[in-house]
Amino acid sequence: MSGYGGFALRRAGQAVVVVLLTYVFTFWVISVLPGDPVTTTLRNPQNGFTEEEIARIVSYYGLDRPVLVQLWESLSRFVTGDLGVSLRSNRSVADMIGEVLPSTLVLAAASLTIAVVLSFAIAFGVHYLPRPFSTALRSVPSLFLSVPGFLVGLLLIQVFSFGLGLFRAIDTDGPVATFFAALTLGIWVSAQIAEVLIANLDHEAAQEYAGVARSRGLGRLRMLLKHLLKPSSLPVVTVLALMIGEVLGGAVITEAVFGRTGIGNLVERSVASQDLPVLQAVVTLAAVVFVVVNLLADLVYPLLDPRVTLQARPEVGANA
Amino acid sequence: MAPQDRLTSTLTRPASTTTAPLLQVSGLSVAYGGRQVVSGVDLALGAGGSLALIGESGSGKSTIARALLRLLPASGRATGHVELAGREVLGLPERRFRPLRGRTLGFVPQDPASALNPVRTIGVQALEAAELVDGLAKEDRREAVLETFAQVGLTDPQRVFAAHPHELSGGMLQRVLIGLAVLPRPSLLVADEPTSALDVTIQKRILDLLSTLRADLGISLLLITHDLAIAAERAESLIVLKDGRIQEAGTTAEVFANPTSAYARQLHADVPALNPDRYADLRAVGEGRAGDPARIEVQGVTKTFGSLTAVDDVSFAVPAGTTHALVGESGSGKTTAIRLLLGLEQPDSGRIVVAGEELHGRSHASLRSVRRHLQLVYQNPFTSLDPTWKVERLVREPLDRYRIGDPASRRELVRETLRSVGLGEELVSRKPSALSGGQRQRVAIARALVLRPDVIVLDEPTSALDVSVQADIVETLLRLQADLGLTYVFVSHDLSLVRQLAHTVSVMRTGRVVEHGTVASIFDSPQEEYTRTLLASLPVGAA
Repeated sequence: MSGYGGFALRRAGQAVVVVLLTYVFTFWVISVLPGDPVTTTLRNPQNGFTEEEIARIVSYYGLDRPVLVQLWESLSRFVTGDLGVSLRSNRSVADMIGEVLPSTLVLAAASLTIAVVLSFAIAFGVHYLPRPFSTALRSVPSLFLSVPGFLVGLLLIQVFSFGLGLFRAIDTDGPVATFFAALTLGIWVSAQIAEVLIANLDHEAAQEYAGVARSRGLGRLRMLLKHLLKPSSLPVVTVLALMIGEVLGGAVITEAVFGRTGIGNLVERSVASQDLPVLQAVVTLAAVVFVVVNLLADLVYPLLDPRVTLQARPEVGANA
Repeated sequence: MAPQDRLTSTLTRPASTTTAPLLQVSGLSVAYGGRQVVSGVDLALGAGGSLALIGESGSGKSTIARALLRLLPASGRATGHVELAGREVLGLPERRFRPLRGRTLGFVPQDPASALNPVRTIGVQALEAAELVDGLAKEDRREAVLETFAQVGLTDPQRVFAAHPHELSGGMLQRVLIGLAVLPRPSLLVADEPTSALDVTIQKRILDLLSTLRADLGISLLLITHDLAIAAERAESLIVLKDGRIQEAGTTAEVFANPTSAYARQLHADVPALNPDRYADLRAVGEGRAGDPARIEVQGVTKTFGSLTAVDDVSFAVPAGTTHALVGESGSGKTTAIRLLLGLEQPDSGRIVVAGEELHGRSHASLRSVRRHLQLVYQNPFTSLDPTWKVERLVREPLDRYRIGDPASRRELVRETLRSVGLGEELVSRKPSALSGGQRQRVAIARALVLRPDVIVLDEPTSALDVSVQADIVETLLRLQADLGLTYVFVSHDLSLVRQLAHTVSVMRTGRVVEHGTVASIFDSPQEEYTRTLLASLPVGAA
C-alpha cells in the first residue's frame, strides 16, 4: 500500500500548490485592475476624509507599500488562516463567509444529492423499463440541459409556492424552500451526470463480459445492479467532481431566484462594491473546494477500480 | 457410427439419448437489419456428442452461436426453429428462456481477457454460476466453485477466487470461464473459438480440458472454430460454413476422407497443418542457396528493459535468399528480436550485420541507408496502413522518401510492384477501407517490396487473415523469394505455417534461443523438451 500512500501524498502536495497559485493569481489580477477601490472610496467627497486621514488609513492597511510586499504579507496571513478585513463593512472576511457558507453548503449538498438520485433514476429507467418508456427517458437529459435554471426556479416557485402554497417564497431558509432551490440546481446537474451514465451503461452492456454473464442466466435487474452499474459509475466520480464547480457557479443564480443569502449573494454584493478582500477570499475558497473535491476523486478512484495502477510498471512484452 | 451411438460406449453418464437429439436446428436464418448473414442452417447434435462449426470470417459461425445462446445484438433477428432438449426455444420469451441459460446451455467465449467483469472479483462472478446448481446450499457454493477451479486445472483456487480478471493470464482466465460454464452441469456447451486468443501450448491444454470434461460430465460440445485441424481433432462431426450457408456436413472422418464440396476441398488444401509440403517446389529454390554466405548475422545480442531480459544472447545467421523463422509464444522475445534487427532498438551487447553492414553504432542517416535494404511487413494489415491514403500513395511513399526516380517512373514502379503481388491496376486509387484483409496485406508487401530490398522481416504476416487468404499470401511471398532471391525473417507462433515456408528455424523462449536448425531437423528430431512440447501442441488434424 506504500504505492498508494506516496500517490496520495504527491496529489495532496499538488493540490496545495494549486491553491497557493490561485491565491497569487487572484491577487495579481486585482492589483493590475484599473481603479483602486480604497482610494476611490476614501476620496469620495461625501465621506469627507482629509488627505492626512486618507494617508493614515492607507498606511494602516499597508496599501502604500510595493505590491510584492503586500502580496507576501497577504499570503502569509492567508497561510495562517487570516483572510483579512472587508473594505465595506470593516468586518473580518472569515466571519462574513462563515455567516453565509452554511446556507450555500446546504444548498450545494442537497442539489448534488438530488442530482445523483435523479440521474441514476433516469439511467436506470432507460436501461430497465420496456421500450416506449426507455426511449422517452433517453431524451430527458437533453431536455433538462436546455431549460435555463432560473426558469425552472421561477416555475417551481410559481407552482409550489404561489399555486400550492407548500412554502412561502420569502421564508427562504425553510426545509421545503431549500428543497425546491436544490431541485432547481439539481435538475440541471443531473442531466450531465445522467448523460455520462447512460452512455457508459450502453457501452458496458455491449461488452463481451455482459453477454457471458447473461449466458449464466442473470436477469436484467441483476445484470444492471451487479455487473453494469459499477464500471459505469466510475467515470461519474470524475464528472461529479467537476460538477461541484458548476454547483457553486449555479448557486449564484439559484440564490438570487429564491432570495437566499449565500456565497452567491455575497459575491454579488462584493462585486458591486468592489470589496476586494472578500472577492479574493471567495475565489480562493472556490479553488480550495474544487481542488479538494478533485483530490478526493483521484484518491477514491484507485480504490474503486482494481485496474488502475499507480506506479508505472516495468515494461513487459505481453507476458501471458 | 452416429455421434450419439459412439457416445454410449465411451461415457460414464448413462445415455438417455438415443431418441431425439439434444439440439436440433432447422432453417435457422439471421439478419442484421436487412443484411442476411445466416441462411437456412440445419444442424443436429446428440447428447454427449460434439459438433464443430467451421468457417472463415463472415461465414456466420459466431452468429449461429449467438443466435442459439440468444445473445444477438439488438439489431439481429433470428428466424427458424431451434429445439433444445425437445423444446422450441427460439420464440421463447426471455423470461422463460432464462432458466435454461447456464443450466442447460453453457457458453465459453472467444477472448477470455474481456469475458469477465473487470471490476469484480472472479469469485463473486463464479458464485453466480454456482447459484444455478439446484439444491446447492448457499454456504456450499464457495466450496463448489473452488472444487471446479481445481477440476479445470487451476493450481491455486483460493487465489483465483480472490483475484480480479486482470491479475490472471489468458490461459488461466479461459480455465475459469470453462469452469463457470460447466459448474451448473449444462447439457450443451457452446464454445466460440475458445483458444484462438491463446498461445499454442495453452491452446492444447484448454482443448484437452474441454475434451476431458465432455467425457467425464457427458456434456455435448458445439465448437466454433476457423481452424480445420482443431475441429478435426476435437469433434465427431463437422459443418463447413461459407457466407452463412452450409457447404458440407457429416462426420469428421467422412468430410476428411471425401470432401464433396469445392469449398471444403479448398479449405482442406489451405490448412498448413494438413499440408506441410504444399510449397515444396518453391521452397526448394531457397534450399539450394543454404550454403551461400549469410545475408543477416546476429551474434550474441542481448537487450534488457529494466529487470527484464527480453532478448538474451541470441545468435542466428540467414543465408541470402532463404527464410529464417523465429518461433515462440507470447513473451518469448521474438518481437524485441526483430525490433533490434530493424534498428528500432539498440542492443545492450552483441552485433547485427545486414548485407555486410554493421547495424549499430551508426548515425541516423547511414542507418537510413541500411534500412532501405531492410523492410518490414507488419502483423495486422487492418492497422498498419494509413486509412486516409490511397493504395498508390501508400506504395509510392518509400520511393518518395528515398527520392528514387522521377514521378513517372515511380508511378510505373508502383504499378509493376502491385502486379507482382497480384493486385490489379484498378485498385491503385482505392483506400484501405475498400480492400479486403488479403488485399491490404498484399499492399503492405508491395510497399516493402517497392524499394527492392534484400531482406524483408515478416512479423506474423498472416495471423490476422483467414486460412484461404493466408495460403494465397504465403504463395505470393514464396514466389517472390524464388524470383528475386529475397531473404526473409519470418516471425510466427504458427509452427505448421513455419514448416510450410521456412528453411531454418530458431525456437525462442523467455528471450533465449532454445534450439535452432533446419526445418527438417527441428520438426523431425527436436532435441529440446520445449520444442517437443510446442510440436506436440499442434493439432494433428485427421481423426
